[in-house]
Amino acid sequence: MAKPAEEEEEGGEFADFLADVSKEIAQRVESLDPTPKAVAAAKLKTPVATEEKRKTPAVTDAGVIVEWPNIADRLIEEIR
Amino acid sequence: MSVVNYGTREITCKIVYYGPGRSGKTTNLQHVYSQLPEERKGKMVSLATETDRTLFFDFLPLDLGTISGFATRFQLYTVPGQVYYAATRKLVLQGVDGVVFVADSQSRQLAENIESLQDLHANLADEGFDPRTIPLVMQYNKRDLPAGEISSIEDLDETLNFRGVPHYAGSAITGKGVFETLRSISTLVLSRLSAPATKA
Repeated sequence: MAKPAEEEEEGGEFADFLADVSKEIAQRVESLDPTPKAVAAAKLKTPVATEEKRKTPAVTDAGVIVEWPNIADRLIEEIR
Repeated sequence: MSVVNYGTREITCKIVYYGPGRSGKTTNLQHVYSQLPEERKGKMVSLATETDRTLFFDFLPLDLGTISGFATRFQLYTVPGQVYYAATRKLVLQGVDGVVFVADSQSRQLAENIESLQDLHANLADEGFDPRTIPLVMQYNKRDLPAGEISSIEDLDETLNFRGVPHYAGSAITGKGVFETLRSISTLVLSRLSAPATKA
């Protein structure tokens, strides 16, 4: 009955690590994000002009994924 | 050394396991890999010789999923410990966010530990990092060996850890201390997360 606990413990090491990392990231991201509320708002009400750009597929170049819609949203928000 | 990208909502941290040959750097990564849930297991790239010596380097990508809206990835690397792979060690250190120095606790390996630590400092400086401030954690590995063969933690700490960074007793082969070390370096690296160069 106690045997399966070994597997649980093994998974637990990573789970504990992930929990700690998540906590640290949550704290840091909140304090660093330049305009968290503005970005969130921009996501909620996407301007009409952005619609066409949203159709542009994500570009993969040398392992870097560029998410164009996110960038467009931020640019428009900053212009405002 | 920006590891957080608000544009692409990504956090990427590069952690390098450094230390003399046969100190247990690859074994650390192998233990981490063995503990990953199946859905998070990427490919661990390991180039080794027939005698299990790391020839080039090991690379373990850790995809931690989306945390606070950010796709979070840790990249764990090891360097080849042998003295003659100096160029590879320098290459692997490029863009590093944090270093785990895996020291061999065996008393007869003390000189190798010191030499490797000096090599780390020289290479960090060459790559434009300040060896006095870069996130660093020490792991005194092979604590499972007989007491007569290994140096005490206090002696190792006094000899190697002049920065007074966090240190952990480890036995990578059994997994002891592996995640404690990884957790510690991750916390240090994340505490230095920097925002992209944009207007506040």
